[in-house]
Amino acid sequence: MHWINWAVVVAYLVIVVGDSLRRTRGTKNIEGYFLANRSLPWWAVGLSVMATQLSAITLIGTTGQGATDGLKFVQFYFGLPIAMVILGVTLVPFLHRAKVYTAYEFLERRFDAKTRSLTSLLFLLSRGMSCGTIIAAPSVVLSSIFGWNLAWCVALIGVPTVTYTVLGGVQAVAWADVKQMFVVAGAMCSIIAVLILRMPIPLDDALHIAGAAGRLQVFDFSFDLSRTYTFWSGILGGTFLMLSYFGTDQSQVQRYLAAKSVDEARSSLLMSAYWKIPLQALILLTGVLVFLFYLFTPAPLLYNPRHSAVVQAREPALFADLQARYASAIALRQQSARDVAAIRHGGDAGAIRAAIEQFRTTEAGVTSLRTEALAAAARVTGEASRDVNYIIPRFVVEQLPLGLAGLFLAAVLGAAMASVAAELNSLSTATIIDFYQRWVRPTASDAHFLMVSKVSTAVWGVFACVVATYAATLGSLIEVVNRFGSFFYGSILGIFLLAMIPRARALGAFIGLLCGMGAVAAVAIWIPSVSFLWHNLIGAVVVVLVGLALSAFGAGPRTATATATATA
Amino acid sequence: MTSKFRSTLWRVLTMQVVALGLLWWLQSHYAA
Repeated sequence: MHWINWAVVVAYLVIVVGDSLRRTRGTKNIEGYFLANRSLPWWAVGLSVMATQLSAITLIGTTGQGATDGLKFVQFYFGLPIAMVILGVTLVPFLHRAKVYTAYEFLERRFDAKTRSLTSLLFLLSRGMSCGTIIAAPSVVLSSIFGWNLAWCVALIGVPTVTYTVLGGVQAVAWADVKQMFVVAGAMCSIIAVLILRMPIPLDDALHIAGAAGRLQVFDFSFDLSRTYTFWSGILGGTFLMLSYFGTDQSQVQRYLAAKSVDEARSSLLMSAYWKIPLQALILLTGVLVFLFYLFTPAPLLYNPRHSAVVQAREPALFADLQARYASAIALRQQSARDVAAIRHGGDAGAIRAAIEQFRTTEAGVTSLRTEALAAAARVTGEASRDVNYIIPRFVVEQLPLGLAGLFLAAVLGAAMASVAAELNSLSTATIIDFYQRWVRPTASDAHFLMVSKVSTAVWGVFACVVATYAATLGSLIEVVNRFGSFFYGSILGIFLLAMIPRARALGAFIGLLCGMGAVAAVAIWIPSVSFLWHNLIGAVVVVLVGLALSAFGAGPRTATATATATA
Repeated sequence: MTSKFRSTLWRVLTMQVVALGLLWWLQSHYAA
């Protein structure tokens, strides 16, 4: 990459870290460190909520998914606005008025200490490990694209993030997120502009070709539980997933607990509800435009340069054969795409249909060769291919004009840093508030709690970087933890829903939580065809039903604090 | 529910209708 692109990246890192460090001066106690003294405006919290959810792998993986599968993934987010509105009128006022630091603290006031500690521990277990994968995923891509050592890529993301998160707390995190969202939006808009300007045929014709290739298919109304992305799984399963994520995950809850008031906290969630579907559609549409771009420009057989080099070195005959067949297949596809564009203007309906069929046949030929090459790469390297994550980085590095590649790299780093910083901040909050202050040292000076909070953030930061560095070795362990995490996500939502029902009792809630996790594990193991999006709904429903049933039979007392909080 | 929340909610709903409408148009207009 040209030095001007690197200058853009360095300038961005210096501005983000420098400004975040400047903001550390206002942090004198743990309320300031963890919740910015509940003083942030709604728009900053809203951008921070969006930046936390938009990780680097969303930025590069989702655009890649747009190139290979089209727009249908946007259905995954259909439940988000619904979830945000529900949270705005239910959980947000409860949590904000309870003046808690963590969402789990509220559960002790409503139920008991063991329910709080178990949910907080589940959060620490899953998020601690996933924080490492959030750093690892873009690091692996950068390492392959630039040929750098993985540890250096992890350090490039980890060191600045850990530095400003440790020193500045949530103030630094939130204001860095604001800048990061602007850089991400700027980078995406620039890429779209470049793609449109460099399209060799009119955009309208290009979009017709994308339609013929199925890339503009958005809605799938089939009610099939085994299909991951359908309208119904997005609306129903997606709503429950988003309710769980934004309502019970400390990394998100902490964002809106830092808002000035309940109204500001609600507005911040509604801001995310307003922008999420258009933003996600824009990201996927970028991928579709990249697919169209590569119809007219020779596309690599394997986008992952390291895999490509390894296959070429170890099986040169196979690679040469694949390359030769691929070159002729993409030439045929390019010609048939140009035929579709030309024949649309003046051709009869039959000729247009024939041209489209011809294009689809050549597209299927290219896809089949790519599948063959990906299988060869997976066999030769012994690694899962994940080639989709390399489509956009390769396009950016090889095709974007001077400066814009640097801007996109800054956006990727920014997206990774925003997600990781929020996770570190929330992991530290749960560790200190739910465990250290609750069980180890209930009373101490603010200076002491501030000091241990910073140490805790640093420890989680180092842990995340170590997990990221050894992500390849820890692959199966991380997968187990992520899978385990999916078992209790919906169940934790169920506990919070129970907390808002006055008749629910502590013991019923605790047993309900265990039953919900068990039910999701049973479905995942014995009915694996059910898509993961439905797990959250199943978990939440089982917890609420079991919790209410046991509470009705008088299992466990209802605490005085619970009554006070529930009626607040 | 405050009036500010209601008006923001109205804007959110309008945006979702516009976004989904655009996606629907994109899908049906360019379907082959």
